[in-house]
Order: sequence, then structure tokens, then C-alpha cells
Amino acid sequence: MGDEDLGLGRFSDPALFVLMSLAGGEKHGYAMIEDIEKTCGARPGPGTLYGAIARLERRGLVEPLASEERRRPYRLTAAGASALEGRLRELEGLAHAGLGRLATA
Amino acid sequence: MIGLAGRIVRLYPRAWRERYEEEFVAMLEQGPMSIKDLFDVALGAVDAWLRPQIVCEGRLVMVARMRASVLAVLWAWVGLVVGGVGFRKMKEYDDFVRAAQDSVLVGVAFDTVVVGALVALAAVTVGCASVAFAALRKALAERRKDVPLLLCMPFVFGVGFVGYVLLLTKIIYPALGRVAVHDTVNVALFLSLVGAFLFAALASAGTLTAAVGRAEVGGRTLRFALYPAAVAAAAMVVVLVATAVWGVSLLAQAPELFKGDEGILASPTYAIWLVIVAVMAVSTVVAVAAAVRGLRARNVGHVPPRH
Repeated sequence: MGDEDLGLGRFSDPALFVLMSLAGGEKHGYAMIEDIEKTCGARPGPGTLYGAIARLERRGLVEPLASEERRRPYRLTAAGASALEGRLRELEGLAHAGLGRLATA
Repeated sequence: MIGLAGRIVRLYPRAWRERYEEEFVAMLEQGPMSIKDLFDVALGAVDAWLRPQIVCEGRLVMVARMRASVLAVLWAWVGLVVGGVGFRKMKEYDDFVRAAQDSVLVGVAFDTVVVGALVALAAVTVGCASVAFAALRKALAERRKDVPLLLCMPFVFGVGFVGYVLLLTKIIYPALGRVAVHDTVNVALFLSLVGAFLFAALASAGTLTAAVGRAEVGGRTLRFALYPAAVAAAAMVVVLVATAVWGVSLLAQAPELFKGDEGILASPTYAIWLVIVAVMAVSTVVAVAAAVRGLRARNVGHVPPRH
């Protein structure tokens, strides 16, 4: 899920956070913001969140569900789960390499 | 602060607002807003203007999905009609009329088929009329001639088929129906009628499909048309079940008739019944799947009117 592939630009990190949040189950916008703040330590703004959601929806990585009292939940698609796993593996490799260098420094 | 954010949302492009405004505002109302959030909403508006394709494509996918679902139900209904005409043709023989009079279940099953078919016909008519009217209105507004022409074609095919039947039975071969069933001429003419009916039905559905596709009928009309499409799909289920029950109850009531050669063109009754049920089953599965898929797209893409 490289930035170049998805063209997410400044929405790269929020998109990753949204995918991670939805990996824990379907959620609507506000629940995503709270979940992301809790698990990632960063609170995305409303405009940033929906910018990321729109991009992920367009790429078929998340999908909207029927709205519940004006709030619309989203869920991760199979493609979204695969993209998230790929990105997390990349980050895992990066973290491993970085920690390895620090240990030998 | 939330009120101000709500005003800023109006700065977003129309396509974005049609797709996200309702849920976005609902989200803003759920929690406290900071000045930072306010700027973020404004930045989001700039982003939405700079990249409008992000929203438009998602919306178009929903509309395309609803359009495909409505048209799939239409095509499936044509399949049911083909099977239903075969059933009606077989049922018109005297032996089957007597069986329906002797057995309540056989009679009720046949009546249910008729009622279900009429409901499906009415629902498809309502759905097609609404979509065709919207397509015609859009085409006239754009001064296009292709769409009105395509919409006229189902009537042309219908009149052509009726004309062919009259020509065949009144002028070319008035003795049709009184000759031996397996007579070569009788078989050839009957098959030509079946061919003409299939052509008229498929060509009508094809031209209507082309007209709806070319006119790019909007989401509002399609959202409405999905209701009659769902009713039609439900009625098709009823017709399928009733046709199946008719055959099983006929087997129980008059096994010699069911196992005899009373099908179309004196073919085995059970074989024709099985073919009819198979055609109806395929059509019904397609219709139900299309209706469910369309209603899902409808619910997901629906934006309630603003008050």
C-alpha cells in the first residue's frame, strides 16, 4: 500500500489509521476518530478523516453500510484487509531494520 | 463552533455533499469541535474541490449498480415470461383443465401462478415506465433522437409479433391448430411463432436497456424503480414455487397425465414441466440476486432530502 500506488498524499497516514480502525470491526466516523486516537495516539480532524475515507472507498478498500440515524458505518473490504496487511508488513520490516541498527550503534 | 462547521461544509462541492454531508454533519454533532478541527474541515473542502473525482466515481458506481440491478430484473422477468408462456400453452389442454377441477391443490397452484405473473407484470410495467419516462424526458431536454427511437422499439416489436400471429393464423395457414401435432408444417409454424416471440421479447428488453444506458437515467429514478423491481422479484418467487407445486400435485393427482405425452407438441409432460421450472428458477435467482444487490446500493447511496 505505498503512497505512490494509492496516491493518498497527505492522507497516507490517516488512511492507514482508518484501515487499522476498521480492522477491529465496522465503525462510523466519530467512532473511528476515537478509536484512532486511542490506538494510534493521533486524533484525525473531521476533514482529514473523510478525505481518507473517500479515497479508500474509491479504491474499494473500505465500503459503506446502510446509514443508522444519519451516521454511516464503514467496514474493511477483503482488498482493504490485504492492503493493510501488506503495509503493516512493510512497517514491521522497517521497524526491525531500524531497531537492528540502533542495537548495533 | 459546530454551527460554523456546518456552514463550512456548504463550501464542499455539491457531489461531495450529496454523498457525505449527512453523515459528516452527524459526526460533527457527536463531539466537541476545536478551532483546529474547524480548520481541518475547511482544508477538507479545499481538498474536495482539488480532487472532485474521488467522490464522483464512488457515486457513479452506486448509480451504475442500481441501473444494472433494475435492468437485470427486467431481463430475468423476460426469462420468466418465456417459461410462463410455455406453462400456459401446456396448461390449455383439456386434460389439465380437468385435473385442475378435480384437485384443489392443482387448481390453486395454477391460480397462484396467474396471480403471481400478473403482479410481476404490473411491477415490471411500473418500474419500466418510470425509468423509460425519465430517459425520455432527459433525451428530449438534450434534444436527442436516439433514445425516443429506442423506447418506441418495444411497441414496434410487440405489434410486429401480433401481426405475424394474425398473418399466420388468418391468412397464410388458417388450418394451424387443426392439423396433426407432429405434422411437419405444424411443428415448423409453431417453432416460427416461438422464435418470433423470443425475438420480440429479447429485442424489446435489449432496446429498453440501450435507451436507459444511453440516457444515463439518474439515481433518484433508479432508487424508485428498485421498489417495483423488488416486488417483481418476489412475485417471481411465488410463480416459481406455485409452478413447482402444480407439477408435484399433478403427479400425485393424475400420475398417468404427468407421465404421459401431454406437453407442448405432444412431448413428455414431466420433461416440459422440468424445463419450464428450470427456466423460471434461473430467472428468479437472477431477479432476486439483482434486486438484493440493487437495494443494498440504494440504501448505501441514499441521501435523505434536506429539511
